Amino acid sequence: MSLRDVFERHPERRYIMFGGKGGLGKTTLSATCAYWLARQGKRVLLFSVDPQASLSDIFQKDIFGKGAVPIIDNLWAQEIDADKRIQDYQNEIRQKILDMYGFDKVPEEIDSYIASASAEPAMEESAIFDAVVDIIVKGDYDYYIYDLVPLGHALYYLSMAKVYDEWINKITKLREEMGQYDRVAATLRRQEKVEEDKILEELQYIKHRINTSSQILTDKRRAAFFFVLVPEEMIILDTRKAAELFARFDVPISGYVVNRVLPQELRAGKIPTYLKNRINMQEKYLGDIRSTLGNQVLAYVPEMERDITGLPMIERLAEKLFN
Amino acid sequence: MAEQDKPKKGGIFQVFKDIVYGMSSHEMTRHAVRSRASMEHLFILITMGDLLGVPILPPYYSLRLLPYVTPQISTWKRRMLRERDITDTIG
Repeated sequence: MSLRDVFERHPERRYIMFGGKGGLGKTTLSATCAYWLARQGKRVLLFSVDPQASLSDIFQKDIFGKGAVPIIDNLWAQEIDADKRIQDYQNEIRQKILDMYGFDKVPEEIDSYIASASAEPAMEESAIFDAVVDIIVKGDYDYYIYDLVPLGHALYYLSMAKVYDEWINKITKLREEMGQYDRVAATLRRQEKVEEDKILEELQYIKHRINTSSQILTDKRRAAFFFVLVPEEMIILDTRKAAELFARFDVPISGYVVNRVLPQELRAGKIPTYLKNRINMQEKYLGDIRSTLGNQVLAYVPEMERDITGLPMIERLAEKLFN
Repeated sequence: MAEQDKPKKGGIFQVFKDIVYGMSSHEMTRHAVRSRASMEHLFILITMGDLLGVPILPPYYSLRLLPYVTPQISTWKRRMLRERDITDTIG
């Protein structure tokens, strides 16, 4: 099966993710894939959840924090500016406090809490997480392609969804029980109505957001996760470990893409020993990959003569990847 | 109770000292010990909340709830650290 077959046979898989160690070409492959799908007439949004996103570099266009920016017909790219999102969110909270209580200034203690909460390391991930839900809930596109962060972060991202979900379930249950006591008390006092629990509403909203995003990531029918690797020993071992971890989080792995394969044609000419050794090394590991992953490998992508930036290069790579 | 088992020493002066201690400092000592215990509980709650099923809220989302609890924050802080009063016993 090829990468093309996967897209043609499973048009319902609309959430596409590329994962793998840093620097193996996830951004390149997701951009290429997005480019090809857009050329097929699908509306595609390629977005980065990496705080050090590189979509701007590959498209040679500054798109950071600018929302969905059109690249070619049917293709949009977006880099989420987590810092700005956190700032906007903080201001929203401050404004809400001012509006609710008619203060003209947020109490100092509260304000310093808002400021310090935002310095938490998990804050950025959570903000991005939340931004992704916004993007996906709108549902404006046929395909959503995640340019995923390196493996460790991706796993953290997924495990966070599970932890959050369990946490919210617990706390929501507690809040509902508190509501029951309120109702009992109200009945005893012969009060007609119990005040709506705004906190419970917020908790349910949060729960809904978290569920939406973790469901998408682990939806076997609609999501496709591709691992990117290169023919080198350490990468193969790491990928194998990561694949096991992802399987544990129920992420549906659709296949593997082997990147940076040195072209065999090179052997024909007179080549330096250095290059010959590299080709031999790759051949050995390609053999390993074939024997362990076999038909789960959807594409072997050749190493190009230069780096992939700009649309003409992306087009050339798409040609090799899909035809 | 332990005091009764000890051999009596110091006579009237010691009795007087004990009375003064009982009248003035004993309550404060008790208060301090209790505050210390409450703080211990608070500390455990914060660090080990998961054990009781009270994981600490991820900060991104705790901010969403902040506006609703704003008026209670300082009272809550005091409450977490205060001595238990008679209503707690009734409850």
